[in-house]
Amino acid sequence: MDQHEHHSRLFKVGGAQVSRFEDMRLITGNGKYSSDWNAPGQLHACFLRSDRAHARIVSINFDKVGQIKGVVGVYTGADAQAAGYLRPPSFLPPTGKGGMKARVPERPCLAIGKVRFVGDPVAMVIAETHLAALDACDLIDVVYEDLPAVVDPEEALKPGAPQLHDDVPGNCPVEAESGVEAPVMEAIAKAAHVTKITVDCTRVTASPMEPRAALIEYTADTDSYVVHTPSQGVNMTRKQFATYANLGEDKFRVEIQDVGGGFGQRSTVYPEYVSMMMAAKALQRPIKWVSTRTESFLTDTHGRANLITATLALDKNAQFTGLRIDWITDQGAYLSPTGPAGHIRNATSCMNGVYNIPALYGHFKVVLTNTGWVAAYRGAGRPDIAYAIERVVDAAALELNMDPADLRRRNYLALSDYPYKSATGSTIEIADLPGLSAKALALADWSGFEARKAASARKGKLRGIGMSAVIEPTGAGSYPRDEIDISVDGEGQVTVHTVAHSQGQGHETSFAMVVAEALGIATERVKIRQGDADRAPHMVGNHTGGSRSMVGAGTVCHIAANKLIDAGKSLAAEDLGVEPSQVSYGKGEFTSAHSKKKITLAQLAAKKTLAAKGEGTFISTFPNGCHIAEVEIDPETGITEIASYLSVDDCGHVVSHTIVEGQMHGAVVQGLGQVFGEHIVYDKESGQMLTGTFMDYIMPRAGKLKSIQMEEYTTLSKLGPLGIKGMGGSGCTASLPALVNAVVNALGVRHLDMPLTPSKVWKTIQQTNVKH
Amino acid sequence: MAKVELKINGKQHSFDVEDRTLLVNLIRDHAQLTGTHVGCDTSQCGACTIHMNGMAVKSCTVLAGQANGADITTIEGMAKDGKLHPVQQAFTECHALQCGFCTPGMIMAVSGFLKDNPKPTDDEIYHGLEGNLCRCTGYINIVKAVKQAAKAMSK
Ligand code: FES
Ligand code: FES
Repeated sequence: MDQHEHHSRLFKVGGAQVSRFEDMRLITGNGKYSSDWNAPGQLHACFLRSDRAHARIVSINFDKVGQIKGVVGVYTGADAQAAGYLRPPSFLPPTGKGGMKARVPERPCLAIGKVRFVGDPVAMVIAETHLAALDACDLIDVVYEDLPAVVDPEEALKPGAPQLHDDVPGNCPVEAESGVEAPVMEAIAKAAHVTKITVDCTRVTASPMEPRAALIEYTADTDSYVVHTPSQGVNMTRKQFATYANLGEDKFRVEIQDVGGGFGQRSTVYPEYVSMMMAAKALQRPIKWVSTRTESFLTDTHGRANLITATLALDKNAQFTGLRIDWITDQGAYLSPTGPAGHIRNATSCMNGVYNIPALYGHFKVVLTNTGWVAAYRGAGRPDIAYAIERVVDAAALELNMDPADLRRRNYLALSDYPYKSATGSTIEIADLPGLSAKALALADWSGFEARKAASARKGKLRGIGMSAVIEPTGAGSYPRDEIDISVDGEGQVTVHTVAHSQGQGHETSFAMVVAEALGIATERVKIRQGDADRAPHMVGNHTGGSRSMVGAGTVCHIAANKLIDAGKSLAAEDLGVEPSQVSYGKGEFTSAHSKKKITLAQLAAKKTLAAKGEGTFISTFPNGCHIAEVEIDPETGITEIASYLSVDDCGHVVSHTIVEGQMHGAVVQGLGQVFGEHIVYDKESGQMLTGTFMDYIMPRAGKLKSIQMEEYTTLSKLGPLGIKGMGGSGCTASLPALVNAVVNALGVRHLDMPLTPSKVWKTIQQTNVKH
Repeated sequence: MAKVELKINGKQHSFDVEDRTLLVNLIRDHAQLTGTHVGCDTSQCGACTIHMNGMAVKSCTVLAGQANGADITTIEGMAKDGKLHPVQQAFTECHALQCGFCTPGMIMAVSGFLKDNPKPTDDEIYHGLEGNLCRCTGYINIVKAVKQAAKAMSK
């Protein structure tokens, strides 16, 4: 099917083109994001943050704060200590390599005794207006005693490095391993060729366009809190609040509507939010806080920050015989809930990539540094492992003077190898890389590259081509199951409740399409309610993250709709004067051939309660793909242009091509952002962040990637009735290696670490004297 | 304190605000029109774009006092009589929004520059979008929407 035909199928319902249901409010200014919530009598919070990377707090003097009219309170670490808000949740498994006990440091919601990175919150001021709170922060005097800081993860692991936490010796919360070491070392020893490469999967930040914000209200009669804050799922947010504050989940009611982007960054309950709980309770007034963008850069969870060494063993036929991964994961000054656990788990799950590699071993060192904390970011370890594998494969091809496409082809797992049990213990369901990549190579005219390179050379440009063949796990969640509640009202309107929460993914449309299809009714008749504050506490289900919502909640929408039909048949049987088994359903009507009677969904629901609960439990499924990029570099300026970008993806059954394409565009460009510009940089001496605004942190802009030729190559997942594999992250996983491989190819070098800025590329051209 | 009298979406308003109040805060907090967003502190993201006297401006970069006497249009004032502005229409039809946070600013910026340049080339569109950041869409569908809107408006 070509591109055009895809587009003609977008959101077509009964032949008519419809927009996403969420769009109308969002394009008219009627969205409601976290900073749009207000409550009568609200007060405003402002945080005084550490301006240094590592220091002892000698004293905090806020005598002068009283000069500012409207200030009603100042809170510090002493209050955090008294409240016991000391430990955010951590999903890190309790033991690591050789039974090593994981050491998860405290993170009080306001610093106690010490600050550990620039941005660490030291005090919170509460005032009648935002500006008064801001002014008051300026008048707080903190006396610090500076300590040596370390921002480089390798330095932090060295003996004698500054120690961040007394209870985390060596700045290493845990070492972990996956697979078995001995067979890999044997494969390396016996190999005809070994390729070893170290890649820096750089520290970046998610930068959703909506800055963090919160409004926290305290209800005295029930001693509980109402929370409005960006979230990827209200139940996960409730759970994290409950853990951080040592309270029951029933003490938190999370009310949210629109979320302005997530990408993993909303999967954390932040210290600011629990600090605000203290004030909301003490002052019995709602507290509001909106982060500035600079605060976002400093204190939002960062992503990636992994230094990975891949050692690949090949035999004389260029077959892969073993792969060793040594991985240093920089987690910043504290452990976020998702950070280290996600990186280790996801990397382990697909450590063989799309290849048949009989021996695998991964060794992970989790490290603390005087920098911002790190969590899941669009892929959470999946892009990082794919980047390491796809770089080492390209480096091996270069060393062996082979076509990288050919080296991959020799090593792909075949369709018949699946389900494949990897040497790190994961069972990879289904993929067909030989077929999928053949399609990609043909469409990209891989074999015709030399002619295009020559044409570029005639214009004085350096052209390069790069491919990536990637796979990643999605689907498995952290809750035991996903539930969907579905009901019909007397007007025939179907309401569907989920606890998965869109941050732009468009659940209100795609989930409605699934339900409408199952019920044979118009999509407009289906209303999706996400994270309803009254109902969510009584539902089980995962948040939206890890590319899993359509696999889990989306599939359960189908299951729930079918349960609704079954329930309806029983109820309709009486009306139709037959047995339930004699009732059929189609297009919104229950009919009986026996009694020649019929009753519609609306009529039935007008008489009786017509509702059902669907549920499903999902293990991992594996979207995969092959992306091919061509770049053209101007050697005079070092500027790289994307000459073409092709993707062939297998994300199983696709519900909405429009949404899948949109997710793919966004994910590929997020990868591109990391490749060409985005980078969180700290000064090694002072520990100050050098990239704290959009002037220094280079986000991708319109025109950098002009188009993607997007194709599908589908194998269906058997884990659910719809064959969905999930997507959202996969574009990023594939674009990092495809783009870096293309630039490295153009420059004729073995490796270059991201970001591939014009100055870095230009310098490389000068140093290597590449001919063009 | 400053007294600011201005017209927003055709309605006359008068507010007493602190001198240092930014126009975007007047719009969001005083006029309670929260469709205009704040995405940065350095005039980079464009989420706050509005029309002031017919020109697209970043309202985080204008003091409320400077808008005294001005005629302001925000995203809430773009649809007329229940009919979407062609740029709004194009954004939804081209799936040019995901989370929607950048979208009001995008729509205001795009409708502003299409006024000056009704038939932009691709490069002119990229240039026109330079001051607006979107984290979700990769811009590909936004560029498509700009072209579609330009076409619709030239009819
Ligand atoms: S908020 Fe005005 S440009 Fe970012
Ligand atoms: S749609 Fe989310 S930032 Fe543009």
